[in-house]
Amino acid sequence: MRIAVLGGGISGISSAKVALRFGHEVIIIEKEGKIGGLMARIANCRVGFQTFFEEIRNSPKLKVLTGKRVLSCERRNGLFLLDLDDGERVEVDRVVLATGLISCEPDTKGRRILSSLEYDSLIDQRNEALPNDLKKIAFILCHGSRSRDYPLCSSVCCSYTLRQIKWTLLRTHPEITVFYNDLRLFGQEFFLLKALKDSNVRFLRTNSKSMEEDEEGVKVRYFSGGKLFEEKFNYLVTVNALRPNPELGHLSRIFGFSLNEHGFVKEASPLQTDVDGVFACGGSLEPMNIKDSILTGFAAGYLASGGKGITGGKMVFRKDPPGFDLPDSGESFAFYLGVDDTYSSMFYEYFSLVFVELALKLVERKKQVYVVTRNSVFPSYEELIYEKARREGVVFIHLEEDERVSFDKGSLRIEGGKKIEIKVDHLILMEDFCRYFREFEVLGFSRSEPQLRWSPTKWDRNRYHVGFLRYPRSRRWETREYYAACAEALLDSEARKVPEVLEESCSGCGFCKNACLANAIETKRRDRTLSLFGLHPTTFDPIAKIDPNLCIGCGLCASICPSHAIKFDFTRTSTDRQSAQENR
Amino acid sequence: MLKTERDEIFEKTGQRREDFSVCMGCKICASVCTLNDIGKNVNPQDLLLSIFLGHIPNDHSIVTYCTSCYRCVESCPWRIKIPEIVRAIRERSKGDLFTRTFKSSIAIFGRAYEPYIFFRILPFLLKKGYLRYLPRWIRYMNFSFPPFLLRR
Repeated sequence: MRIAVLGGGISGISSAKVALRFGHEVIIIEKEGKIGGLMARIANCRVGFQTFFEEIRNSPKLKVLTGKRVLSCERRNGLFLLDLDDGERVEVDRVVLATGLISCEPDTKGRRILSSLEYDSLIDQRNEALPNDLKKIAFILCHGSRSRDYPLCSSVCCSYTLRQIKWTLLRTHPEITVFYNDLRLFGQEFFLLKALKDSNVRFLRTNSKSMEEDEEGVKVRYFSGGKLFEEKFNYLVTVNALRPNPELGHLSRIFGFSLNEHGFVKEASPLQTDVDGVFACGGSLEPMNIKDSILTGFAAGYLASGGKGITGGKMVFRKDPPGFDLPDSGESFAFYLGVDDTYSSMFYEYFSLVFVELALKLVERKKQVYVVTRNSVFPSYEELIYEKARREGVVFIHLEEDERVSFDKGSLRIEGGKKIEIKVDHLILMEDFCRYFREFEVLGFSRSEPQLRWSPTKWDRNRYHVGFLRYPRSRRWETREYYAACAEALLDSEARKVPEVLEESCSGCGFCKNACLANAIETKRRDRTLSLFGLHPTTFDPIAKIDPNLCIGCGLCASICPSHAIKFDFTRTSTDRQSAQENR
Repeated sequence: MLKTERDEIFEKTGQRREDFSVCMGCKICASVCTLNDIGKNVNPQDLLLSIFLGHIPNDHSIVTYCTSCYRCVESCPWRIKIPEIVRAIRERSKGDLFTRTFKSSIAIFGRAYEPYIFFRILPFLLKKGYLRYLPRWIRYMNFSFPPFLLRR
């Protein structure tokens, strides 16, 4: 089978990887002159993308066409005949859309007002010197997104801004201010947030559109804590909305699949468009981060290659969340969406959705509902539910950094910038629910690891986690995660290599045990009988034993062993080995 | 009772409640508000919040001073029409003697008809001893016949 992947960004490459593993021919068609897409524009992710692509680059079944655009498409006998703009004609069986996202340029643009990608190239490690006046900078989030024209949340900007601040602080120490509405962070990023707050990065829950630029900087007016402030920054970074690639509209016309009102692909079933044989992944579905792009890329590649999912055996391990019962009595309800401890913050995304859905149910029953938020996480399409709740009449009260909330005797009191006191019959706190997850293992940490790990659903060598156990979030993701886990299991099935210990050479020194990253090596005693002049004593000299389930296949033990007693195949992947054999 | 009061305001704006409750509290409106140019430190979003919490902010400084410049509407991500709310609150509130007199003058004569206004607020002027400024006012006042008599 031949599969065309439209778009050479990270999701396109991941789906190509899975399709190649199935043994199909893959053609990647990229509009730009270079593959990489949005991810390769981020300075710190460029190398990561290259290493990811490196693994399939030399595969004989892969063809990469850059600088080409699909002009028209004809269907014949179930085949797609794609006409490219240089007159080339490509025949394929399946098509995977990986057109990705584009960042909208700001309407107020100047030398001092930068978009976040421009700022990224400013602090790029390859630039030798930073500008001298990088003394005081501000970030303004949600610029252009979450508005009437584009109601979705871009879902990655908050995390990206946090990383940019981290990269900035690695090189210099400017005064940094972040203006935000909600911090839509996931998993481990809340720990990064805490670290940044501790290193004097100022986070203000307010936003501004009043910026005046001159030669030296940008003057910003903002309202915080009941007062108006005017401050001058050397640089202002507007973090812009991520919208679907306009090329997607062109493709929808020539292939005939439909888009939703926001310009993204409308899914007929998970990761499939309503045209047979056309699949979608990554930024053509919704705004998502790199890890989720890899996840959907794997899943779409798996489905496009004809993967059916794992039959037999239980694949989905789910622990259901506690039941949320609502009392029938009472007229007014208050939800408090806020926790102080950082670990529980990981559940913001889940409880934001749960609380708003409960609030909507109560509003239907003509109750008065208040939601007090310290922070709320509604990435991409969840933002629409949040918007619906606001429209239906749920009253949201947003707390600023220095505002405190207290509850006593059926009343809710807010002190600080604004003073509010409300009588409520029932209080529902996020803390109470988080208690349930205290002893609960989730992959939340790895949903957003700072290090790029190319395995979005992997827990360890034997287990792949999907659904609630992987990361508590919207149900939409469960099927995607399931297919991604299938694809990942397939990718791993052959690449899985465990070093081998040669019994005669091993002296049991334990060097490998100390070096092992995954604690997979133990030194065990071996019973060996020696015959010494008719006597048969037993020796207990140690030997290294590798647990194949814990081993991550890094090969460190093999390289560190002083007596070369550990054998490990350092060739990269199965496809590489195959191609090496064929070339010979 | 509370609900009708709130709904009355929304009815007067000619918009639905949803168009206002969609506010997500970003405070962009406060950053561009004209009243903040003159140092009033107001947040138009407070107005919405207090209405939704069931309190009609009749003496909020936005209600008193808002110039309906529509800067907040222009920059609001959801185009929430705060000046319309302000107008509705002003229309509902009884106001002081001068406001009431001015409004009824408009209602009766179609314009600010000074003799009418003068006689309506006469008790106030007498009580506070403002009548000593009368000769100077007369120079500026236009003592013509009421407009509806002239039309006939």
